[in-house]
Amino acid sequence: MYDLQLTPEQIEFRDAVRDFVNREVKPVATDPARLEPFEKPLLTDLLDQASQMGLRGLGLPEDAGGAGADTLTTCMLLEELAAGDVDLAVVLGETALLAREVLGTAMNPAQRAHWLPLFEGEDRFHIALIARDAGAGRGWSYHQTLPLDADEADAPELAATRDGKAWVLNGTAPFVANAPVAGLFVVQAKVSGGEGTVTVLLAQAAQGLSVGEFLQPFAGKGERVRWHHGAVAPVTLKNCRVAEEDVLAADAAHRMLHAGIAGRHMVQMAAINIGVARAAYEAAIDYAKMRWQGGRHIIEHQAIGMKLADVAIQIEAARSLTWKAAWVTDHPEAVADRSINDLPWPVVARSFTAEALHRATLEAAECFGAMAVMRDMPLQKYAHDTLVLRHSADCDLASPLVVAETVAGYTR
Amino acid sequence: MDFALNEEQRGWQMEARKFAEEEIRPLSLSRDQIANPKDTFDWEIIKKGSKLGFRTLAVPKEWGGHEADFVTQALVMAELARGDSSVSKTFSQCWKWSHLIAASCSKDQKERFLKPFMADDSFVLGKGGTEANAGSDNRMPPDNDPKAGWKLRAERPKAGWKLRAERRGDEWILNGTKMFIANGSVAKLFFVDARTDPEVNIREGSTMFMIPNDTPGFRVGKVFNKRGWRFYQNGELIFENARVPHANVVGEVNGGVKARATDKSEFGDIELAANALGICDDAVGMAMHFARNHKRAGKLVIDHQLVQLKLNEMYMLTEALRSFVLRAAWERDRKLPDYGNNVLVMNYSQEVVQRVTRANMDIHGPEGAMMNARVDKLVRDAMIWTHLAGDTVQRVKIVKRLPLTLPT
Repeated sequence: MYDLQLTPEQIEFRDAVRDFVNREVKPVATDPARLEPFEKPLLTDLLDQASQMGLRGLGLPEDAGGAGADTLTTCMLLEELAAGDVDLAVVLGETALLAREVLGTAMNPAQRAHWLPLFEGEDRFHIALIARDAGAGRGWSYHQTLPLDADEADAPELAATRDGKAWVLNGTAPFVANAPVAGLFVVQAKVSGGEGTVTVLLAQAAQGLSVGEFLQPFAGKGERVRWHHGAVAPVTLKNCRVAEEDVLAADAAHRMLHAGIAGRHMVQMAAINIGVARAAYEAAIDYAKMRWQGGRHIIEHQAIGMKLADVAIQIEAARSLTWKAAWVTDHPEAVADRSINDLPWPVVARSFTAEALHRATLEAAECFGAMAVMRDMPLQKYAHDTLVLRHSADCDLASPLVVAETVAGYTR
Repeated sequence: MDFALNEEQRGWQMEARKFAEEEIRPLSLSRDQIANPKDTFDWEIIKKGSKLGFRTLAVPKEWGGHEADFVTQALVMAELARGDSSVSKTFSQCWKWSHLIAASCSKDQKERFLKPFMADDSFVLGKGGTEANAGSDNRMPPDNDPKAGWKLRAERPKAGWKLRAERRGDEWILNGTKMFIANGSVAKLFFVDARTDPEVNIREGSTMFMIPNDTPGFRVGKVFNKRGWRFYQNGELIFENARVPHANVVGEVNGGVKARATDKSEFGDIELAANALGICDDAVGMAMHFARNHKRAGKLVIDHQLVQLKLNEMYMLTEALRSFVLRAAWERDRKLPDYGNNVLVMNYSQEVVQRVTRANMDIHGPEGAMMNARVDKLVRDAMIWTHLAGDTVQRVKIVKRLPLTLPT
């Protein structure tokens, strides 16, 4: 059975987000006054509006007051948001995923009773995760937590020391997604002088926890530029004391980090990538129908027609893979009964999407001639955004190797 | 067959390499990172380069220039671009229009403009063709639309520039606006195309004028804010009843397109390809340096096959581009039959410069939530190639010049 029919609810929700993006987000995000400066402050008012639409609690189960959206629905909506502003989509995607996995699954009832009202009580209450990279040391890969100029082996780790029934955490995480807007930090730390890790819940106001200012673009002697989406900042923990009731059960934390978050995060990033490319594509279609050159509208030139066709094909191929990966992630039984072959689907979708859609976005931009590189036009930003997505923590030159390893039954 | 450079070519190449390494490269990134596009330019580097001869490289010896051949010009552009692509372009933009002065201007015009150009280290040249709705249509007016560019006041925009010039006695009165003009905010002299007969197409009804930047009624508007080539100044030229003496007409009235054709226009395409070659050399150097000095997963980056594959691709493409650039320049120096190689090499360079700069980014990868700024800059500079000299759709018109069979 193969069914691509969306439910009326999915279509309605998608239309609502699309409408919000067209009415509220695009006019702000594509305003030259925002496009031209290097600095792109997070659009916090729009972030709050999106939260009020239920996007922050998308993945939270319905009995916990969320939308109970599955990964596929979440991807559809993140694509819509990203077509307006990629940073909004990244922040909301992170919070929605962590709400689902932490509030919805990993917390015990007492923890949920404490944190859920806080989460629901404030539109700008987001969630940040500080965790060890599961792929660290597996091979040639770049790590989100790797400080500048460090080798993989030198990656710092947060340390947790036992103090009676409590834990004391110390250390710094240099790049933490959502840190500037997070009310709740979920922190995995290595047990000092012992085995394994401990995963704890920390409030933004917790004593000893401080969120730093993130490096500005072109800061750091000008030799490095900011290369991420959303809101990122370093987090320092200094003798940060965590009571026993704020520690996640070890098995729940392990399930959350490995089965819950990793794959879904990757699929969500692929969906966000599609949104960015779609914005470029839609802009190119409009422009090609309007721009008159060579004695006709440029859409009537075969070379432009082929470009737009190629962009459309690449976007559809990426969406098919991403939706499949999203669905499989929620339905492991389909792999178990051999309906679908056993591949690391999130990696497949993410790798293909990142490479194909950066190229497609450049093709869409090319339809604009010189206008494509002007900073008061959005095309150069779409090109940059897809480049960041192509070269970031969970996607790099080496990441598709995971697919080869899976089919070969080999691990680095 | 001989690939050796002569002593003069080698000399210029070495001089340019030294200047790029010692003077251009150190300011390249900091200029790129200035937010206001009006402030990215640096006169000191232009003056220093001018004193070494890079501004006047292409001017005939008769007028005090170096009269370097195309091979030398290509070598110098590539070397300068290795330091910074847009600084290199600022110099070579002057060569482009000094070709035009030498070929198309009268003796009087050369006295009035070429002499001061030679004497002043900060005398930079520009050329105004593009307008808001007339870019590639000027460069390659459509043959298959006989109405293109005919009636300016028709309700639908038609091909070709609209800057209007009307004769009044010994003067021409110019009205209109040019967009994206290279060296726009810094040039002391512009070559500007205007409609002198709005009832016919641009081949028959346009004239080229020399416009000093202090022309009454002329001013520079905004400087465009670009993703790449941020040092390079692309400006808006505004003409409001600008008064230009008839003596500043280049060639003949209504002969603008013909005058443009004498500027050794083949230079323009070789120029861009040679500049791209410099970016590729820079990217290759950065990638190799990084790969040999950083470790990932317990071994040097270069010891990973993935990186070896990328380095192989980068070197292969860069060397192929170098061969093509120098061959096209050599063919033009020898005035061999024009089989369109100068345009083909430009088209090729677009693909190469973008692939090579992307491969450099693949090898560097992100560092946490940061990226090496120069790696990113090279990718941004390379994006400029998508629209240089007309976009790819325009450039395929080279097909008309291709031979029936390849020369043997």
